[in-house]
Amino acid sequence: MLRSMNNIITGILSLIKGLIITFNNNFTSATTLQYPDEKKAMTERFRGLIDLYPEKCVACYQCVKACPTACLAMTHKQTDEKKKITNTFTYNIELCCFCGLCQQVCPTGAIYMNKIYEITTYERNKLYINLLNPEKYDEWPHTSPK
Amino acid sequence: MADLDIKEKKDIFTEEFLINMGPQHPSTHGVLSLELKLDGEMVLECTPHIGYLHRSFEKLAENRTYTQFIPFTDRLDYVASMNNNLGYCMAVENLLKLDITDRAKYIRVIVAELNRIASHLIAIGTFAQDLGAFATPLFYCFREREKIVDIFNEICGNRLTYNYIRIGGVQSDLPKGIEEKIKNFIKYMRSKIDEYDWLLTYNVIFLARAKNIGLLRKDIAINYSVTGPNLRASGVKRDLRKDRPYLVYDKFEFNVPVGVNGDAWDRYKVRIEEMRQSLKIVEQALGSLPQGDPTVKTGRVHKPAAGEAYFRTENPRGELGFYIVSDGSAYPYRLKIRAPSFSNLAVLPELIKDAKIADIVCISGSLDILMGEIDR
Repeated sequence: MLRSMNNIITGILSLIKGLIITFNNNFTSATTLQYPDEKKAMTERFRGLIDLYPEKCVACYQCVKACPTACLAMTHKQTDEKKKITNTFTYNIELCCFCGLCQQVCPTGAIYMNKIYEITTYERNKLYINLLNPEKYDEWPHTSPK
Repeated sequence: MADLDIKEKKDIFTEEFLINMGPQHPSTHGVLSLELKLDGEMVLECTPHIGYLHRSFEKLAENRTYTQFIPFTDRLDYVASMNNNLGYCMAVENLLKLDITDRAKYIRVIVAELNRIASHLIAIGTFAQDLGAFATPLFYCFREREKIVDIFNEICGNRLTYNYIRIGGVQSDLPKGIEEKIKNFIKYMRSKIDEYDWLLTYNVIFLARAKNIGLLRKDIAINYSVTGPNLRASGVKRDLRKDRPYLVYDKFEFNVPVGVNGDAWDRYKVRIEEMRQSLKIVEQALGSLPQGDPTVKTGRVHKPAAGEAYFRTENPRGELGFYIVSDGSAYPYRLKIRAPSFSNLAVLPELIKDAKIADIVCISGSLDILMGEIDR
């Protein structure tokens, strides 16, 4: 009887001890954001969706070779001055693992990763992107100005 | 009348009861299925079934170049991606006989230890949740983890699958001003660990629930090749960072916390102490961080000479080993991963045997197993 009373009292005491910690947190600033009204600013190195500066691309296929999941596909054509330019460049978001290896190997900085992270769509075919199209991400929610 | 009594007694008998726990169960920490044979409230036998998360990483590695496989190691132990990257890259560097710069070594130590803290925070948060301390400790742990994740987001640009440590160094040098942020975090985290001691460690209800539960004897732990905090909680002082120092761990002062009984509470306590030691290591590493370029220039495709290499590192969950066989081409001939959680799960039936059904969740939670690296 005495022992169980003792157990109850020590239990309540340590409960109060824990409640003091939780009570103290009432006076600290909030750690959460009211998403989607407030959005966290993405960092400079953030790896979002793959984007392309078509004029910089020299069709060297380094990014296509570096991709571990084969989510990039490219064809090229020769111009009259015997310069290689990209003919088609498609990007499959379904396969992309956002590792950033394509961005790292690009010799001209043509391929880069933007700040878009809300990549949910209702239609599957929207996940197949033509990177040469300048309006490709206009429908996607932008978290920071382009 | 008397005959009838005897007949009734014959009809009343107890029988063993078979139930399945998981794979969709909130407390099995992933898609783990436990087949339990029960006698009333006691567990007679437990058989874990694995393979629900199998993604065939070892076979996938044979069709990927050495650099291309780094993002896959992120997805082994997805709570401690940096440590996985580290183990794999060091194994490949051993195979290539490549020396990395001092700055890269220090940066690797910093990120690996920060990730160890993040991993242990999840371990103790979910453990407390399993014991019925609903939400509060878990939310506190995630609040602290968020700060580490923010630091990683700034360093490498991702929040879970970092792919930061590369063959020959790191992805890119630390960004400006991050050292100050890490120093602030160390100060903040120290006070929060003391808070956990108040909230959980010496809480009477928590002690009653975790003390003397799931006793893992020293000899059983060694026989099952249990590693990491689970082994140290059983009283075996074994830590690869001390016993076989890699990177620059031999330059830092830190202790290896060891438990006494090997019960669930000891395993929890070792993790709490390890976080303190990790903070100490990060602080020392930041203090003596050398200047210069962290990355060694290597070719885009690595072609190591034919041979083999095995390298093991101290992961938050135990010893993670990568065994790579090269045939001289750009792709590994064979890659074998020694995952710590696999051995830690193997000892679970031994611990659950003769325990009460209410303690199963406590025991499996205290072992901190992660299905991502068991099934790989």
